[in-house]
Formats: sequence, C-alpha cells, structure tokens
Amino acid sequence: MKSKILFVLIAVILCNGYSDAQSTPKISFHPIFGNSPLRLDDSCYTTDSIYISNFKCYLSGIEFLNNDSGVWKEANSYHLLDASDNKSLYIFLSSPSNLKFTKIKFNLGIDSITNVSGAMGGDLDPTKGMYWTWQNGYINMKLEGKSKLCKTRNNEFQFHLGGYQNGDNALQTIMLNVLDNEKIDILIDIEKFVAAIDLAKQNQIMSPGKEAVLLSEKFSKIFSVQQ
Amino acid sequence: MILVLIGLFIASFSIKNEPLFTVPPNWPKPHYDFNKNPLSESKIELGRKLFYDPILSRDNKISCASCHSPYTAFTHVDHALSHGIEDKIGTRNSPALMNLAWHKSFMWDGAINHIDMQALAPISNPLEMDSKIEKIVAKLQQSNKYPKLFYQAFGDSMITGEHTLKAISQFMLTLVSANSKYDSVMRKETVFTIQETNGFELFQQHCGSCHKQPLFTNLQFENNGLLVDKTLNDYGRMNITKDAKDSLLFKVPTLRNIEFSYPYMHDGRFKKLSEVMNHYTSGIQQSKTLSKQLQKKIILTSNQKVDIIAFLLTLSDKEFLFNPKYGFRN
Repeated sequence: MKSKILFVLIAVILCNGYSDAQSTPKISFHPIFGNSPLRLDDSCYTTDSIYISNFKCYLSGIEFLNNDSGVWKEANSYHLLDASDNKSLYIFLSSPSNLKFTKIKFNLGIDSITNVSGAMGGDLDPTKGMYWTWQNGYINMKLEGKSKLCKTRNNEFQFHLGGYQNGDNALQTIMLNVLDNEKIDILIDIEKFVAAIDLAKQNQIMSPGKEAVLLSEKFSKIFSVQQ
Repeated sequence: MILVLIGLFIASFSIKNEPLFTVPPNWPKPHYDFNKNPLSESKIELGRKLFYDPILSRDNKISCASCHSPYTAFTHVDHALSHGIEDKIGTRNSPALMNLAWHKSFMWDGAINHIDMQALAPISNPLEMDSKIEKIVAKLQQSNKYPKLFYQAFGDSMITGEHTLKAISQFMLTLVSANSKYDSVMRKETVFTIQETNGFELFQQHCGSCHKQPLFTNLQFENNGLLVDKTLNDYGRMNITKDAKDSLLFKVPTLRNIEFSYPYMHDGRFKKLSEVMNHYTSGIQQSKTLSKQLQKKIILTSNQKVDIIAFLLTLSDKEFLFNPKYGFRN
C-alpha cells in the first residue's frame, strides 16, 4: 500500500512538472458550425435543422515545414480529436521553442501500416470506439447527427469514414500556411462538410469504399488556420 | 541456420527451460512479429484465462471456448453454423485454431488483418458475444481478479483494450500443432502404413497445392467449387474486397486435426470426410472464380478416397488436442 501511495505521489509530481513545462498547447482545434462553436447538445443549426451529436477524427504525422522543407516531425504522432472532450482538442508538442516554419502538415486518419500492425494503446486503443470490428481498420472520422433532409430513422445521419486498402485508402494529407510559430489555431467547420454533400442521398456511410474516399476528400477541405 | 537463430531468439523469451514458443523444424518463419508483443508466461496465462472467461460476452455466458473448444482443435463440433449469445445462430462454421502465428489474415473471408485484433470481431458480433471492447475492459477493471493479473502481466493494473487483446493473442499464438503422426514420419521417427503412403501420394497430387505442407494451408483464398447456399448467399472474400474476382473465395483451412474439427467447409455443410472427398470428385460447380487447380476434374476410385482419408487421420495431434496447458484451469 505504501508503495502505491509513493507511486501516486511521484506520478502527480511528474505530471505537474510536465504540464508546467508546456502550459500552452502548440495547436488548438476549434470545431465550429459556420460562425458558432460546434455544440453536441440539442442546439439546432438553422441550415436544414441540423443537429450534431458526435464528431471525432484522427490526426497523425504532424510535421512543420519551412517553405517546402520539413524542419520538425512529431514521433509516434497519433491524436484523436473528440468534440465532446475539450482536452483532446489541445495538442502539446515537444518541438523546439524557437523553431521557424511556414506550414503545418498532418494526415487526417491512420496510415495503412498502423492499420495492419495489431493492437495499440493510447489514442489508438480500440476502446476509443474508432475501430471497425467486423472488418479491421481504423475509422478516421465519425460525424453523427440529424437533419430533416435525411429520410432515415429519426432523420439520423452517420458518417464513419475510413479504409486503408488500395483503392479505398481514405487517408488525407492536409497542408496549411501558418504565420504564428508559437500557437496555431485550426478551425474545423462542419458546416462546410454538410454543405458539400447531398444529405438527402448521402447519410449513412459506415464502411470503406469509393464513397468514403470521396467524402474524406471533402472532409479534408474544412480545416483552416485562424489568423 | 536462420531458423535455429529464430528458435533461439524466441526461446529466450522463456524464463523456464521450456520455451514459450518454438518454430518446429523445417517450418517457415512465423508471420507474427513477436518483438511488438513479446511473449511472457504471465501474459499467456492471462490470455488463457480471458479465452475461457464468459465475462467477454454481454450476458457473461459465452466465452471464446464456447465456439473454440480445446478438445476439438478449438472449433465448435456438431454445429454447421456456430451459435453464440442466447443460442443465436451465426452465418459461418467456427474455424479451428492452431498455428495462427503463421497466418496473415483471419476469418473465412480474411476480414481480420492481425491476430491481435481478431477477438474484437466475436466480442462485437450481435450473434456471438454482443458486447464492445470498452464495456469488456470496464467489466475486467471492476472484477476482483483481473486488475492484479494485468498488473502481473503488463506492469499496469489499469486495463486497456490493447493489453486485453495482446494477452488473448499471446494465448492463441501458443496453440501450435506440430506433433501428429505425419510430423513424426517427416522427422523419420516412424513410418506410414501402406494405405497412408498411398493416401499421402494422392494427397500431394490432388490436394497439396492449396493445403500446402507443413501448415496444410497455403493461407490463400480459393473458390473450391461449392454450390452457393441460397439461405446464406455468402460470397466470402468478395464481401470484404468488393472485387468480383474474389466472389466465392474463402480462406483455405488447415487440415491438421481435421478428424476432430468436423463439420467441414465455411458453412459446415459436410459432416464426414467422405462427403468432402465426394465433393471434390463429383460436386465441383464451375464458375469464373473457380480455383485453377479444380478446373480439371479430379478422378479418384473409392479405395483411393479411403486412402486419402487414412492419410488425413495422420494429421491428428493428440499432444495438441489434450494438452493441459491449452485447457481451462481456474
């Protein structure tokens, strides 16, 4: 028992030390719907009475570039952003403090090698609900909600986008210009995604395939740096 | 030389004299990367407990062993289609489990790309265990025994999906069957009877390219000419790849311990090996994706069929089937 208490004490001290060293996140993600912050409660967005109940996506391979050459890359870079968990939206990086770069690059989703490498922990743990069990593979992005445009049960829509195999690889790479090298704020505008698709026709995509790839491309267009 | 080195390397995981995993002589290198999940006695033991524990199902009644019993080469005998939670009937015959470290994909259609992730499928399937890994992890965390066992195995009593899955895969990886009469004959410790010798020759001629030695599967997907069962309409591999070239392709099963793993085929349509023999000589359905090995009619006399079956029975491995280290223990 004593050793357990000691362990907890050490852990608390270590964690505190860690958070002091990096008190501000390098990257902050801001899910929005048009001009307002994204809310997962009963808030209804005027456009077609849309409700959003769940939004999660994987980010991987974060890299900084100065003009076109890479200057820093995060090792073992996998992050699950979850709109219902504020902490997940702030990413702390161990990059050097005075690093100069003009662009940030990252992937939306999980690369194919990681997809076939077995059980992993942290944000990649299958308990995170972002893994297909009937046919293996990570779900790169989940967006669920309701819209009166959807002639489905309870007007629900579900997008579970992923797929890593040839032809169905849904992984997207995003590159954005950045001006501030200390703090990067990235907007994710869900309204742009729902505006780019026909919700009346496309509302239940939950397996890999061509449609998932096309929607993933549209999803990759909704990220922008807040200047 | 390489095999010896691999053997030594893997043997070095063991703290006792008996290695936790050995590559049988003249076998290929396993596909599984043991560096990413190094075997240990406590992890295998934890995996074995989980394998036999119905805590993995929604109603705490179905364990992995419900459909993968050790005494029948880890399959569900007497059931064409396996049944899971609340006696719900699935859509396929549960496969026998052995020599999985050599497999690149799992399930009849290869839906699972890694053995670590295999357990997720039955845990989540509404006809099998009907739960979710996050719920299982929460139940394990609340149990009296598991936090301690996870601590012993992984040095962390906080249970994760990763550790749960890795423990189960460690146990499954240790299920190696390589000590049948056939293996003894290959090691020149004994000899086949005349009938078995005839059967072995015919087997190599007609069956051996798909049921390739020493695993008795080429680990590929093939269409073996079964008539489509209209009550199931199971097109196998195509369900996964959505490629018409994969229509009616199923993973070639191992024939090791086949005496014990009846019924046969992905839908368990054949109860006896003689029915399987008759299928290959007179039941083959022509189709675009039929395996090229089956496009030319196989002609066998009834005596020859009996000889092949005599050979197939030499693939039974009693040491594997009745090994206490694979069985249930409290």
